[in-house]
Amino acid sequence: MHIAWWQIALITLYAGYQILDELQIYSSLSSPVFAGFFVGLVMGDIKSGLLIGAGMQLMVLGVGTFGGASRIDANTGTVVAAAFSIGANMNAQAAIAAVAVPVASLMIYLDILARFTNTFFAHRIDAQVEKMNYKSIERYFLAGALPWALSRMIPVCLGLTLGGGFINMIVKELNGPWKWLGDGLTTAGAVLPAVGFAILLRYLPVKKHYPYLILGFVITMLFSTLFTSVQTIGAGLSAASKAFTTSFNGISMLAIAMIGFALAAMAYQRTIATPKAKAAAPSSSSDSEEEGEIEDDEL
Amino acid sequence: MTNSNTEPKYKLTNKDFNQINRRSLFGFQLGWNYERMQGSGYLYTILPQLRKIYGDDTPELKKMMKTHTQFFNTSNFFNTIITGIDLAVEEKEGINGEDTVTGMKAGLMGSFAAIGDSIFASLIPAIFGAIAATMAHQGNPIGIVIWIIAQMAVNVFRWSQLKPAYKQGVSLVTNMQSQLSALTDAATMMGVFMVGALVATMINVKFAWAPTIGSVPLNIQNNLDMILPKLLPALIVGAIYWLLGKKHMTSTKAIFIVLFVSIALAALGVITKG
Repeated sequence: MHIAWWQIALITLYAGYQILDELQIYSSLSSPVFAGFFVGLVMGDIKSGLLIGAGMQLMVLGVGTFGGASRIDANTGTVVAAAFSIGANMNAQAAIAAVAVPVASLMIYLDILARFTNTFFAHRIDAQVEKMNYKSIERYFLAGALPWALSRMIPVCLGLTLGGGFINMIVKELNGPWKWLGDGLTTAGAVLPAVGFAILLRYLPVKKHYPYLILGFVITMLFSTLFTSVQTIGAGLSAASKAFTTSFNGISMLAIAMIGFALAAMAYQRTIATPKAKAAAPSSSSDSEEEGEIEDDEL
Repeated sequence: MTNSNTEPKYKLTNKDFNQINRRSLFGFQLGWNYERMQGSGYLYTILPQLRKIYGDDTPELKKMMKTHTQFFNTSNFFNTIITGIDLAVEEKEGINGEDTVTGMKAGLMGSFAAIGDSIFASLIPAIFGAIAATMAHQGNPIGIVIWIIAQMAVNVFRWSQLKPAYKQGVSLVTNMQSQLSALTDAATMMGVFMVGALVATMINVKFAWAPTIGSVPLNIQNNLDMILPKLLPALIVGAIYWLLGKKHMTSTKAIFIVLFVSIALAALGVITKG
């Protein structure tokens, strides 16, 4: 297990920053995929970091409520899992299932703690309003950043400092006598994004837009099967003959997203052009959203 | 005689707008708590302007400070619209506008919370997160950069709404509503399309189970591919979709159920990572 003190320091600072970013400018530096990238960069293995970040990002795609409801803290889960996975040479997919998910769900309770702690500052502000002490009102308000940041920094720092031996033991067991569990965790890591997609479908008005679901699935499925086959042929050819040097890329998701964007843009223009439909559209779409929304609050 | 107190003469300047926007963008939710949620954040955002409107150490200022620390919770992507409408009223009517302001805040915060959460907290992260994650899966961080650029554009939008809201008041909200709902509708459509695309690419599992019938091994995955490639991922998402519709189901519970079922099926040799 090799995590140097400066690596722990940088990762801890990021863990504190990301929650403030998410609350404020929401620059997407607080997303699991960026968390994976950042920790990968610090730990010296961007690829593994990105792989864990991507898996966690997809898993929580639909879990997008903030403010009120406490949701699993996928960012912190990614941070810890990526650091351990790279530090202890753990399979990235297995790290998602074995480390990221449990850490992310335990972090719910620290999130709740932070939100309760801020109630204390809210009461201090009330007292300062009575005294008309403007500077203190602002100081106590800004102090609210502390519970938020510390609720992420302390567990990450402690976990990375003390958890190494424990993780080393787990990795050893999963590669040895418990290999079936290690393989199971790897498979589970590959299935977990499905939860994110299903939550999104619950949230989105699927009944209204189902033709687009089919289009998105079929277009991508056909192209990705085709691209993968071409890549396989290419790999086979270059193995058979050194003269064959062309390499083929996989499917471009950006291109697929552009098809989706074009379809949505056409629909938008249609709605704007017909004022009658405009009046009908909002009620039906908001209805189905409310129906489809699932309760995410743990309390 | 009290006229000068109840009808303040201060007019907001561009400097004020910038200060409010800065405080909103970098501080609005720091004080979030279970009791009054964004209440203290609302006061913090407009405190300097309240002091200018009512004057320091006046009973009016104290009253309005108390009003603005009350319960408030809305989307932090739309909060300055409410702030803008609020300040236009207070600047004109002073303390007499208190009831108008309280009613307006309570009336608008709910609808902005719903629309803001669905567009900015769910759809945009879903669409750009999906692009970033699929590219990251191939070891490419460019998708993250694309997402950051998109969020910067969103922040420009957040910055730009205060002044129109201050100038046009509630009429801005009614004008925006029809456009926003058309936009939401189009965005949800793209969201649905993207989910379809993601199901087809990002769930990498296949059947490992190959029973032998007589002496012929039956490759289930190959047979399924002949019917429809990626059928297994589609079935898995369908099953979880059904699971989420059960009573008392939360996303966290669903994640753990999927985790354990996957481990069990993998251990039994039914599915494997593809």
